[in-house]
Amino acid sequence: MSASRYTLDDYNALGDDDFRALVRDFLKECHPPELRNPVKRLHWDEAKPWYMELSRHGWLAPNWPKQYGGMGLSASKQLIYVEEFENFGAARTPDHGMMLFGPLLIRYGSEEQKAHFLPKILSGEHIWCQGYSEPNAGSDLASLRTQAVLDGDEWVINGQKTWTTLGGDADWIFMLVRTDPAAKKQEGISFLLVPMKSKGVSVKPIVNLDLQDEFSEVFFDDVRVPKANLVGELNKGWSMAKALLGFERIFLGSPRQSAHAFARLKGLAQHYGVWDDPIVRDRYNQLWLDLEDHKALYERFADILRRGETLGADVSLLKLNQSELYQRISEFMLQIAGEDGGRLEPVDGNADLHAPGIFLTARAATIYGGASEVQRNIIAKNVLRLP
Amino acid sequence: MALDEERLENVRMLRESAAAVADRSDLSRVRAQRFRQPGFDRAVWRQMGELGWLGLRLPEERGGAGLGMAELIALTEELGAALAPEPFISALMATDMLDGARLEAALTGEAVILAAWQEKPRQLDGEVETSFVDGRVSGRKLQVPMALGADAFAVTTPQGVAIVDAGDPGLSIEITPAQDGGHWGTLTFNGARGEPGRAPRESWLDEAVLATAATLLGIIDATLERTVDYLNVRQQFGVKIGTFQALQHRAVDLKQQALLTRASIEDAAAIMDEGQGPAAKAASSRAKARASDAALIVTRQAIQLHGGIGYTDEHDIGLFLRKAMVLAPSLGDSALHRRRFAQFQTQADAKEGLPA
Repeated sequence: MSASRYTLDDYNALGDDDFRALVRDFLKECHPPELRNPVKRLHWDEAKPWYMELSRHGWLAPNWPKQYGGMGLSASKQLIYVEEFENFGAARTPDHGMMLFGPLLIRYGSEEQKAHFLPKILSGEHIWCQGYSEPNAGSDLASLRTQAVLDGDEWVINGQKTWTTLGGDADWIFMLVRTDPAAKKQEGISFLLVPMKSKGVSVKPIVNLDLQDEFSEVFFDDVRVPKANLVGELNKGWSMAKALLGFERIFLGSPRQSAHAFARLKGLAQHYGVWDDPIVRDRYNQLWLDLEDHKALYERFADILRRGETLGADVSLLKLNQSELYQRISEFMLQIAGEDGGRLEPVDGNADLHAPGIFLTARAATIYGGASEVQRNIIAKNVLRLP
Repeated sequence: MALDEERLENVRMLRESAAAVADRSDLSRVRAQRFRQPGFDRAVWRQMGELGWLGLRLPEERGGAGLGMAELIALTEELGAALAPEPFISALMATDMLDGARLEAALTGEAVILAAWQEKPRQLDGEVETSFVDGRVSGRKLQVPMALGADAFAVTTPQGVAIVDAGDPGLSIEITPAQDGGHWGTLTFNGARGEPGRAPRESWLDEAVLATAATLLGIIDATLERTVDYLNVRQQFGVKIGTFQALQHRAVDLKQQALLTRASIEDAAAIMDEGQGPAAKAASSRAKARASDAALIVTRQAIQLHGGIGYTDEHDIGLFLRKAMVLAPSLGDSALHRRRFAQFQTQADAKEGLPA
């Protein structure tokens, strides 16, 4: 890492406004202009220049403590970082190593594991993917069946993961596996680390509804890894995974997707000549108001993090509201587009006018990260205390 | 934008004293006042005066408490949850227009003085035509809540505010009974004698709008509490009906509306406490649009979730729906406020240099 004027010993010593200004300057100066506002999730070969630039300045891991090479940002500074990246339209890099695996290892990994893996994430040598969902374990994740059996000093893994983001780009996968088939379903699960180049691992891209291939299926056929690749305690993987849900849950409820779609609505209505239609305008105003109210709701949860408190189960409502608002906006866009709502390619190559693309992308938001129905179950039980 | 310790303490104290005056768990007083005249309690009114509520927003040098919008919405939320029939917000609007002995009597709760400002259905902003010339008031004012209980009215006119006694021979009051058991008055002034009042603060109407939204929030939360309690008690097919996923998910949708309404209202209060202008007007309209729609959704779904018992007058849950039916369109319905929000938010964004 070669330090720059953006590399500070203690970012938290800056006031919020100064830090925000620093992030803005950083993005203006360092973000590759051609990667701004990408229409799809970038693959590693596309995102690599930006990843390495973040790495060079020590800006890859805002959420990790300083001692491990992160920025060591407080919760409120992390929110500013994320907000400014979103407002700028910064490209998302393959970030599972920073966002999910790093925090897991820092909290539960051995000193050897931390010393070995963390620097390689920061240098770009290891790109990680996440192995959670399976064909029969989506919303009901705890029923996962991919099995790891100890054979001497090695784990032998058999099974299948799915919906693995950027699986084909990754060097390593951190995965949940069943290590005790006899235990109650949440209690027989462990975390294992597996090189994607291991013999017996194969990856098959999933072409999604929007014809993109950011997800994949990953198959494990007698894959062998050393016993030491277990993270944390045996059979405690489920509670470890749950403990890591804090910051991600508010991330999924951030207004960014809805705001991104909403920002294109007026231009779209003007393009199709319906901007002055009073019915269109009332619907537009309703969605505008919904977006502003969602931002106010988001701020309430962000305030909890800023005060250093933990989020309650009601954060599920934030994700629920965001994903459904995003869909309502995208549905209105499709309606405005008329016949062009059925077009495969953007009009004049202008992605901002491509209602069907946003509409299809938005379908996933109420499914991933806990489907809306699962979120409603959680809120009913844990917030409303229904039987 | 979080409140500091002192203001949090204000809010806590207001909520506590509100609970003592208007009990959200016991609606027998509310029932006793329904469909009677004047339909509210003078003893409670004087209590409100003693607690300083009637001058809550008024600056201290005018004898008020000088508190902010965050405090006002906490109070009206509690009054909403208890379905208090007293025309508190209308009186708050009136105190802004009073001076001298009238103001003192209004602040202590000795006199009930209500605002008469609206002249057309669905009116919020805009011109009024009632005239105040040579000490005489002529014209017509609509939608004055609980007008039969008033001692006087603060009447807006292009020539300034006029204070008119309720018993003035030049004033006739026509009563329209309302769904919540109260009523509103249509006031016809025919050369009624008026004393000059004072011009209200610029934010006066938006404060009343947001206070009404917060009243609806109280109704929403109380309705939801009662409904969730019912789902936990009522049994059908041998189990508590709260175990049915269809009902659970419906209850969650109502909770979502409740949380959004609270976020919207508390955000608006913070914006209004920061200053006046288009952003504050946009925020109050946004909150009222949300609260009006959410209150009708929540109270009507509450009837459905209660089933047959919810359709009886005997059960209290219906009182919340009937109150929402009165307050949702009052001081502007959701359609009016969506338009008003868009209008002022566009101005506010232009001021900040954001693209329209």
